[in-house]
Amino acid sequence: MAMQVLLTLVIGTSLLFAGVDVSSPKFWVSMMAILVASLGVNIILVNQLLLPLKDLADALTHASREPTDLTPPNPNAKRHEQIGFKPLLQYIYESHSQTSSPATDASGAADSIKRAFDQTSAGIVIMNSDGKILFSNKNAPVTVTKEGEKRLNLIFEDNDTFDAWLQEQKDSVHAEKSWLRIANKIVGEEDRHIYDISVSYEKGSGSDVVMILHDRTGLYQPEDDSLDFISFAAHELRGPITVIRGYLDVLDIEIGETLDQEQRELIKRLVVSANRLSGYINNILNASKYDRRHLKIRLVEDSLYSIYETINDDMQLRAQSQNRLLSVAIPDNLPTIAADRSSLSEVIANLIDNGLKYSNEGGSVSVTASLDGNMVKVNVEDHGIGMPSNVVSNLFHKFYRSHRSRETVSGTGIGLYICKAIVESHGGTIGVKSQEGVGSVFTFSVPTYASVKDKLLANGSTNDGLISQGTGWIKNHNMYNG
Amino acid sequence: MAIKTILVIEDDRFIGEMYVRSLKHSGYEVDWMVDGHDGFVAAQNKPYDLIMLDIMLPEMRGSEILKGLRGGGKNLVPNSKIIVMTNFDQDEESRGAMEHNVDAYLIKAEITPRHLLEVVSKLSGEGPEATPTTET
Repeated sequence: MAMQVLLTLVIGTSLLFAGVDVSSPKFWVSMMAILVASLGVNIILVNQLLLPLKDLADALTHASREPTDLTPPNPNAKRHEQIGFKPLLQYIYESHSQTSSPATDASGAADSIKRAFDQTSAGIVIMNSDGKILFSNKNAPVTVTKEGEKRLNLIFEDNDTFDAWLQEQKDSVHAEKSWLRIANKIVGEEDRHIYDISVSYEKGSGSDVVMILHDRTGLYQPEDDSLDFISFAAHELRGPITVIRGYLDVLDIEIGETLDQEQRELIKRLVVSANRLSGYINNILNASKYDRRHLKIRLVEDSLYSIYETINDDMQLRAQSQNRLLSVAIPDNLPTIAADRSSLSEVIANLIDNGLKYSNEGGSVSVTASLDGNMVKVNVEDHGIGMPSNVVSNLFHKFYRSHRSRETVSGTGIGLYICKAIVESHGGTIGVKSQEGVGSVFTFSVPTYASVKDKLLANGSTNDGLISQGTGWIKNHNMYNG
Repeated sequence: MAIKTILVIEDDRFIGEMYVRSLKHSGYEVDWMVDGHDGFVAAQNKPYDLIMLDIMLPEMRGSEILKGLRGGGKNLVPNSKIIVMTNFDQDEESRGAMEHNVDAYLIKAEITPRHLLEVVSKLSGEGPEATPTTET
């Protein structure tokens, strides 16, 4: 306004100087015309200049979700494009839609949670009740198949898999479980990780299964490496022991007849010692396999009687050479059991060996077996030095040796540890009763074949037609021939 | 099928001689090869009744020999039985793969010559009682 009065005054003064008469009506008419014209120009100018600011204010009002009758300014309008206002308006609308809408609040939060999940070293996997992966973070051992489906990459024990567990939860509402030391790849492969895993299951929550994987590679890997070394060293020992046992056999076959009683006794001691050494090596290999979760037990229908038959000669020889009496009474009509022949014979051999070791000179060890419900029970009883109760509770731990036996009796302290591992892998139990100065009774039970047959067949754990021979096997050609 | 001729492919001199000696002592005809490649050639040149195969061998590993003889659906030694003898426990997969192509899989440290003779006579179809027993 001030601008247009000033403008009119300047024009009026210049007209006066130009000699226009003040009293002339022409002068006043032109003055009024100039005033009105400049007012009009001014209004148009102000409108044009202020309009973007008004749009901005309207847009902000709209964005703030205040109740209003205003139409939100269209950022695509031509004039906005002309003056470069379009991006500004778009920004207001976009930033508003990202932060203020309640519906998109959650996705904003989900984004930041997802970022947080990707930062952690733990793996996180969320699944529905069928095990279909709905979400997995960066460190979860998950791969995407060609069909675009996410798959969990973990190597579970055959008899304790996540899938089987999830299957079992069909009728549960809530369940939790943890697995220790589960790797995503087999030993020797690159980028192998070892996890402790905990899983919770909540039926009907949509994301029913939440799996959290703690990466413990740093903790378990060095242990695995040393177990690899132990396994390698034990394998190396097998070469010389093969030669020693083998040539003792050759000598016995070729010159056994010509030896006198005393010389035969010397050979027998060599055979017994070589066989025990071989047994120790197998114990060490089995223990390292078990600790690495590589101990494979293949259960087939077998009888305890025939399993014992395979080691009877060796056991009797051991007892004789240590001047002990070994009496074995395993009925040949017991129901068959589900067994891995070589592993279970190692259990019996270890228990007998133990009994012989802790018996007194001239003492006896007896092995008996009986049916106990769905289990076949085996007792190995000695009348030796026995153990106090504080020793018994530690007995099945690895490398455990009681203070007393460390000084007086040789041994590695893994025999009973591997016995327990093998028996439990058969679905059985092992225990001991002992009285100091009286003797000990070791008892283990394994399920009858009939009681676990269905489960075994479902898992495909049979190897019909193979005759177990130590840790190896030979094909039963007679069976194929009918 | 009675077993008479045997090919032993074994690089350890002590172990090889042990098998050869006791098998010959029991009346079998035995040839012995100490390297994998020679063993592979020998197995095809003469129709042996039984081939005893070590796994860790120089020049050509036992598993490769097996693949060469019975891999890919072919069988170059249809009249031979094959026993794998090793001191290394194979992982389940490679053991499983061998199951189809061999007649026995044995751990050497557990198989003394006397046991070996029993296994050979079992594969012969004669039954273990056919082996002369010299138990003391």
